[in-house]
Amino acid sequence: MLGRLRMDLDKAIENYDELTEKVFSDQKWWGDGKFKATKLEGVIKSAVKDVTGDSESPLVENEEAGFSRT
Amino acid sequence: MNGNIPALFRTYQPRETPIECTIWEAARATSAAPTVFKRIEIGRGKQPFIDGGVGRNNPSLLVLEEAKKLFGPRQLGCLVSIGTGQANIISIPKPGLFQQIIPTNIILALRSIMTDCEETHEEVLKRFASLPNTYFRLNVEHGMEGIQLSEWEKLSSVEAHTVQYMKREEVDKKLASLVAAIRAPRGQLTIEQLGMDKHLINLNHDSTLLLSFSWASNQICTTH
Repeated sequence: MLGRLRMDLDKAIENYDELTEKVFSDQKWWGDGKFKATKLEGVIKSAVKDVTGDSESPLVENEEAGFSRT
Repeated sequence: MNGNIPALFRTYQPRETPIECTIWEAARATSAAPTVFKRIEIGRGKQPFIDGGVGRNNPSLLVLEEAKKLFGPRQLGCLVSIGTGQANIISIPKPGLFQQIIPTNIILALRSIMTDCEETHEEVLKRFASLPNTYFRLNVEHGMEGIQLSEWEKLSSVEAHTVQYMKREEVDKKLASLVAAIRAPRGQLTIEQLGMDKHLINLNHDSTLLLSFSWASNQICTTH
């Protein structure tokens, strides 16, 4: 959130609060992993879409933008 | 399991072949702590990834290595490492009823790795021993031992412990010198000379670089 999505701290905390509640309030009882990975994927994609406009944005940024601004 | 080979998910173009993936895939791969989420397969080779906490909970040394590769001859201003709490703070939930298939060696590895943060910290401290006000580590030391990473309803208590920690006199002093170091970096030494948490490396060019990468481990074998 702080890195690639360049959220400010308040925004990142707000997103994190929402994300953890959505992802961890629902346990599953079988299979690999105690919580639903699909739910996590869903909330991450929507956070990405919020910022970049495309939930499938690539991780690598273009050359110049690759490092955080001063 | 080969948890010792970290795979770095970089947001910038590295010199070596990058892992081609989307933002959400990288976020998933670096959250795939065993017993919490199932692992994810990404990239052309459909390689499985698990969260780097299994091998490296404190990536300070990785960050220094990475910075050396990227900026070898430039001078290092400071390194800031932010922990998620004293060892044992983030407890991995016990496997669910039907998760006994999780290999016990992974669970045991998780336990022992809880201490690797502090070991790495000690190692980095040694490397920076002759350079005052260059390496800073912040880590809430008390109060979060019992909080599991999935306990979202305890975030306010995490906040309270963090505020308490920041009020301590020595922490307050540390924060003041940290801010001074970031504002007016004095390059004392190049990264190369040094021998080698989210981590902030502040270079001597009035530029603050947030090395933005996440890491995960290639999990090569699963022993079901």
